[in-house]
Amino acid sequence: MDQRIVHFITALRASGVRISLAESQDAMYAVDALGVEDREVFRLSLKSTLVKEAKDGPTFDRLFPLFFGSGRPQMMNGLAGLSADDQDVLREALRQVLRELQAELLRRLMEGRPLSPEELQQLGRQAGLPDANQPYQQQWITRRMLQRLGLQELEQAIDELMQLLAALGMDNQQRQQLRDAIEGNAEALQEQVEDYVGQQIAENMAKEYEKREPLDDLMHRPFESLTEREADELRRQVARLAAQLRSRAALRQKRGKEGTLDPKATLRANLQYGSVPIKMKFKHKTLKPKLVLIADVSTSMRPVAEFMVRLMYELSDQIARARSFAFINHIHDLTHEFEHGRAAEVVQEVLERIPPGYYNTDLGAALAEFCHDNFDCVDRRTTVIFLGDGRNNYNDPRLDLIDQIKRRARRIMWFNPEHPMQWRTGDSDMLQYAPLCDTVHRVSNLAELAEAVDRLFD
Amino acid sequence: MFKDKREVQDCLGEQQYIATDEIATVLFLAERLNKPVLAEGPAGVGKTELAKAWAGATGRELIRLQCYEGLDETKALYEWEYAKQMLYTQLLRDKLSQLLSEAETLSAAADRLAAEEDVFFSERFLLPRPLLRALTSEKPVVLLIDEIDRSDTEFEAFLLEILSDFQVSVPELGTIRARHQPLVLLTSNNTRELSEALKRRCLYLFVDYPSMEQELNIVRLKVPDLNLKLAQQAVQIVQRLRGMDLKKSPSVSETLDWAKALVALNADHMDEATLNNTLTVLLKHEADVQRARGGLEGRSGGAADLDRYTPYTDPRRKRGR
Repeated sequence: MDQRIVHFITALRASGVRISLAESQDAMYAVDALGVEDREVFRLSLKSTLVKEAKDGPTFDRLFPLFFGSGRPQMMNGLAGLSADDQDVLREALRQVLRELQAELLRRLMEGRPLSPEELQQLGRQAGLPDANQPYQQQWITRRMLQRLGLQELEQAIDELMQLLAALGMDNQQRQQLRDAIEGNAEALQEQVEDYVGQQIAENMAKEYEKREPLDDLMHRPFESLTEREADELRRQVARLAAQLRSRAALRQKRGKEGTLDPKATLRANLQYGSVPIKMKFKHKTLKPKLVLIADVSTSMRPVAEFMVRLMYELSDQIARARSFAFINHIHDLTHEFEHGRAAEVVQEVLERIPPGYYNTDLGAALAEFCHDNFDCVDRRTTVIFLGDGRNNYNDPRLDLIDQIKRRARRIMWFNPEHPMQWRTGDSDMLQYAPLCDTVHRVSNLAELAEAVDRLFD
Repeated sequence: MFKDKREVQDCLGEQQYIATDEIATVLFLAERLNKPVLAEGPAGVGKTELAKAWAGATGRELIRLQCYEGLDETKALYEWEYAKQMLYTQLLRDKLSQLLSEAETLSAAADRLAAEEDVFFSERFLLPRPLLRALTSEKPVVLLIDEIDRSDTEFEAFLLEILSDFQVSVPELGTIRARHQPLVLLTSNNTRELSEALKRRCLYLFVDYPSMEQELNIVRLKVPDLNLKLAQQAVQIVQRLRGMDLKKSPSVSETLDWAKALVALNADHMDEATLNNTLTVLLKHEADVQRARGGLEGRSGGAADLDRYTPYTDPRRKRGR
């Protein structure tokens, strides 16, 4: 059983759930304490010890039945109620069913004989199961395995058998019973195969996961060259990175000497010197920045935008108020969605809202809308961040609006993934925008992005 | 100590708390494994209420620590009562000078003073805050650390020692161990990601909005004066409102407030006027109220399907700009 749980944990990890050693140990303790008799209690004790994030719940729910049985009905023996004569009739009828495969399947279903592990293994090999390591392959491989069992023509075979039985003189009620048993068992067989396939795939994924090599130096890889897996790995690193940035920002605040004297804290700190004020304590004005992010989410900018939003969400406790907008040619207020950290989905949603084939970046138009509807979110404490490549499709860059924002905001920062050499090429308006910004950062990889975000807290 | 999860469920039921299997099992596990429980979920689904019911069910006192930005250990753990210390120093001045006068050299005087130092750094001058109270309490307690996501990350790190070993270190006094291990419940509204280290030490419980049936049971239990039909209608409306794209979905506590409002107004059936007059109990944003009115119109005709209610689209795009 322990072995099984360990496999299960590896499979969860392979599916992207973060589980530490301490947590798997807790799971073992929990199972020890509560036992495995009650399936539901067992499930919940694993779930509450292993899954610590609401978004991982569905993954757990998908994998659990694959490893610990689904609690689905077992196959039943459909021959129990038959008299000796009827059994003879049945045997005769089965001999007359033309194809051997069909007869074999019917026999199995009537007797309620599930597939043995060896049979499952053999079928799986024929259907290409050993190479499957993606959850979506489950349906397809299941179908292929069932085809090999001849389940596709089952309906027809049952009809054939029933006709034969009728001709051989079995009574109506008996036949109906037999038909029900076969159909019930057929369903159970399908489920058996389906569970088996799902489980094998999960195990394959787990094996793959153990074998994989660590990725090196992702922090310095350009965003556009990341594969899906590397991006996943990087998303995990963002959390660690955010923790670093956060403590740096917090320290900076702590070391700042501005603020008024805090008599209470000073008294307390100096008790050890007999209340002679040697150490001064100050009340800190917590100057958390207010941010407005205006991000280009056209195809080229998508990964950067996603990581930026992710970082902002992770750092939300260091930020007083953040508003987020995305644009291609219109501006969309995404503050509410971003607050819940669903960066990737939100960016995707925005793209779906925009008519296809219409990727016509136009910062000027977007800015006009922004200034018309949401100018109130910019005040003298606000840092406005533009995230984009400054490529405007030869539309009007509307420098006047940037200037207007600049006069009102504390500062304007521009994060651009392109190298300054490229700014002067093609439809880039970056050279016109750059002088209007307080700082311009190049953010082509995560390390540079982190560096730029760190500057926000100066 | 509970025997099984059924008993947990029954005891919570006596405290007027309807617990799902999941909640009961996790609480049961927490008691068995001596682990804190981290309850996460949207605001107002009864996470805090759960701690109260848990305390009631186990017959323990509830000690509550409300977290907020800037909360530090002097507010959460302990503080030296320095005013009292000063007062004592003043009052005991004569005694002190008497004590010191017998000393011949300066170092002898210092030694004597040092010998009495414990008087001023003893538990007498220690002002216990919720965490210390929970650890040093004579009787076992339930400790509720409410809305942990509002506190700073430093505070989160500070909590780790308490959550894993049930002890704290006070530099002047040494390590204080819990007399009785408290049952700990942390709640979070998930406004920010909690640290891995904290999550690792806790059992995780996700509390979501209740199903229609569960919510009806809750309303029936807490507001027994409301008649069944009206309660059903009310719960149906709330459930449909949650399916809509609102700024703030109505929580269970708001459902209960609404039910109480309906009783107070002597409503006997749900009509347009009653709904319009009381909708503000459920929804706290004017925009939400407007949208809900739009969405709930034609409710009696049964045609309005809130699931099909189209969320906000940019009006400019409709005009084809």
